[in-house]
Amino acid sequence: MRTKLFILLILASIVVSACATATTAPPTQPAAAPTNTTAPVTEQVTLKIYLLDYTADTIDWLENEINPAFEAAHPGVTVELTQGSWSGWDTTFAGFFAAGEGPDIINLGSEMNTLYGPSLADMDAYLGEAAWPDINNFGPALQNAMYEGKLRGLPIFTAPRYVFCRTDLATGTLPPKSFADWVAFAKANTVIDPATNSLTQQALIPVDAGSMADWQWWLLVFYSIGGQLYKADGTPNFDSSEALATTQFMLDMRQATYGPAADAVGSLPTGQGSVIDVNDDTGEDNGAICLAHSGWAAPAADRPVWENVSIEPFYGDTANFPNSKPVVLAFNDWLAVADYSKNKELAADWLKMAFTKEANNKWNETMSLIPARNDSQYGYVIESPILKKEAELAAQYGVGFAGIEESAQLSVIMQDVLGRVVTEELTPEEAVQQIQEQYITALGE
Amino acid sequence: MPKNPYLNVLAYAIIAVIFIAIASYGLGRLARLISKKMGASSRKQDSTFSGYFFAAPWIIGFLIFVIVPLGYSLYWSFTDYRITANVPINLVGFENYARLILNDTGFRSSIVNTLFLTAVGLPCMIAAALFLAVLLNQKTHGERVFRMAFYLPVILGFNTAVLLCWRLMLNTGTGIINQLIRAISNAFPPFSYLVRGVIFIQELVSGFFLGLNSGRFSLLTRVWEAGFPAANRVPLWVESPLWTKMSVVLLMVWGCGAMMLIFLAGLNNVPRELHDAAEVDGANSWQHFWKITFPLLTPYVFYNLVVGLIAFLQIFEPIYVLYRDNQPLVSSATSMVYYLWQASFRNFQIGYGSAISWLILLLILALTAIQFATQRRWVNYELY
Repeated sequence: MRTKLFILLILASIVVSACATATTAPPTQPAAAPTNTTAPVTEQVTLKIYLLDYTADTIDWLENEINPAFEAAHPGVTVELTQGSWSGWDTTFAGFFAAGEGPDIINLGSEMNTLYGPSLADMDAYLGEAAWPDINNFGPALQNAMYEGKLRGLPIFTAPRYVFCRTDLATGTLPPKSFADWVAFAKANTVIDPATNSLTQQALIPVDAGSMADWQWWLLVFYSIGGQLYKADGTPNFDSSEALATTQFMLDMRQATYGPAADAVGSLPTGQGSVIDVNDDTGEDNGAICLAHSGWAAPAADRPVWENVSIEPFYGDTANFPNSKPVVLAFNDWLAVADYSKNKELAADWLKMAFTKEANNKWNETMSLIPARNDSQYGYVIESPILKKEAELAAQYGVGFAGIEESAQLSVIMQDVLGRVVTEELTPEEAVQQIQEQYITALGE
Repeated sequence: MPKNPYLNVLAYAIIAVIFIAIASYGLGRLARLISKKMGASSRKQDSTFSGYFFAAPWIIGFLIFVIVPLGYSLYWSFTDYRITANVPINLVGFENYARLILNDTGFRSSIVNTLFLTAVGLPCMIAAALFLAVLLNQKTHGERVFRMAFYLPVILGFNTAVLLCWRLMLNTGTGIINQLIRAISNAFPPFSYLVRGVIFIQELVSGFFLGLNSGRFSLLTRVWEAGFPAANRVPLWVESPLWTKMSVVLLMVWGCGAMMLIFLAGLNNVPRELHDAAEVDGANSWQHFWKITFPLLTPYVFYNLVVGLIAFLQIFEPIYVLYRDNQPLVSSATSMVYYLWQASFRNFQIGYGSAISWLILLLILALTAIQFATQRRWVNYELY
């Protein structure tokens, strides 16, 4: 009886496996030479795309317009969109690359080109100028989608970090144009409630409100005074005078706002909406005078507060660093093709369809962001005075946030060290020395 | 596979069940064969087959999901495997271990942080669980509601909504915890001195541990130089490196419901007649607890200590949810497992991360062995 049961189970498993095999279509598109975008695909293929935190409008547009059009042009191909989140994305992606299997197209941030670069496909043959002349219409954000000079995907939008300031609340001249001006501005525009020993008004909120020394903010300031991340020989440049001045500026701004570390002043309360906006429930300001961040952290475009908000680049410190220049640090999201993908050509075709002049405009309209393609910056971009101004500043002063070797490790090193600068455990001199040493070690690994 | 994802899942489920059935049958047959070779009777062979056949699903799962990954992890710990490098894996011998033990100051800091969390958090958690269990052991109206309320955090865990609530509650200026401290301090000034005293001691201790991490005690010196905190001082929960670890401890103590249930079970096992006899002898409540209840609860305390120690040494979630996007503060709270996560899933250094995981395992084994070795001195098994 047991033997019969055993044989029955084996037969059943063979049948089920055989059924499964019969319906399986191995994705075997060779990534050889680029072909016509409407090349017919006879076998069943699923093109998998992994997107992070897009709005419902964006997903609707992709699923109702782009994907059906793509599937119609590519018989037998199904596009499968998966939506993930920036929270925990790195663990998910680690799984894809470890298994050598996962979505064909993945969503990355600008600084991730060096971290993932070796595992991303060289797409020059499909998306390079020879194969797709449209590539020339992409702005500086395209640099963030490259690794070792080769295209790995395409940028969707550009989200530079600007300095937004409330002109109706600020005391003193706006915008401050030197480090000394900023420190004076911070002292004049910060209010601490003695009853709670907490901030009720903060002159400037950079990327991290509490420490005021986030590494992204540090890099923006560093670039604005002419700093270069690497020396000519490729070694890190944290032992430069610009790095030291930037770190000193972080500490000065923090102390001008919070006072010495031992005073233990509480941070600004969490408000409703953007920190430079007004709370609709109470009618009170959320407390920040200036915000150094991207449009994500700024008030929504239809908020009345925009009447009193200026948008500027960060001007550096011309008084002490003649090479200073106004800077907006340009972040962007981009879509990369994984090297393990067996559908590279199809992935390129999908990218071409989703990144035409019109599509790039439409995609970004669903999020009110600035398209990465220069020729897509029309319609809603120029109709909105806010976006128009942002686009102009990005074009004029945009500096890419890319090409950072071992970006994940550098961020950890810098956050750790800068965190100890603001608590006065380390002097700025010791901090830059530690960053330099630890980063060299990280690069050596 | 079928295009329909539901059929796809169904097909995989059927295949998995068939695989488990076949593998279980195979394992049972193998056990029977071995039993036969060892000269067992036919009846014994049959029972061996049945035993292994029914235990096989768990054994197979254990092999596939624990033993195999364990083997891989051990192998990778001797390599330079890095996920995104796209290069072959090289054997590097004990290099990862040597680097971790001798050179990696970050790992050393994570050990110090973890030991701080364990040394401070575990006693607080056990004390809170015991206190709540003793309270809930009283026969009062609505005791089941209270039991559920105190156990609820275990079910809720550290999800996003919970995290958001805690962040709001821990806000320095407007959070409810500091608001309560301020309100009580204003209404009852001696409480203000008590709070400030606790703040001062806590910051000195944290400053000392942070100094151990960095090798410099400047923060400790600054806290000392600043002196006794001013009247408007409150804890800077998720804002200062001096308070990051205490915020984590607070979250862990909040989740003490599971320990509380164990203690409740233990309290129910304490014979009533012992208390009656003590009552006759004129013992007061304090003596009831320390002379009867607590000694008989020590096996439960020991169990909670062992399980709690392992949980604290593997602490990750509260740090991840509270500080992952608060980068300047995270280094002051980084635990060993958070450091492992950082190496493996942020820097993609799987080889290095595997070595960290094995060192953590060894540390946990050593500390647990010490606990077992010392238990005879204080755990009372007379009732059991």
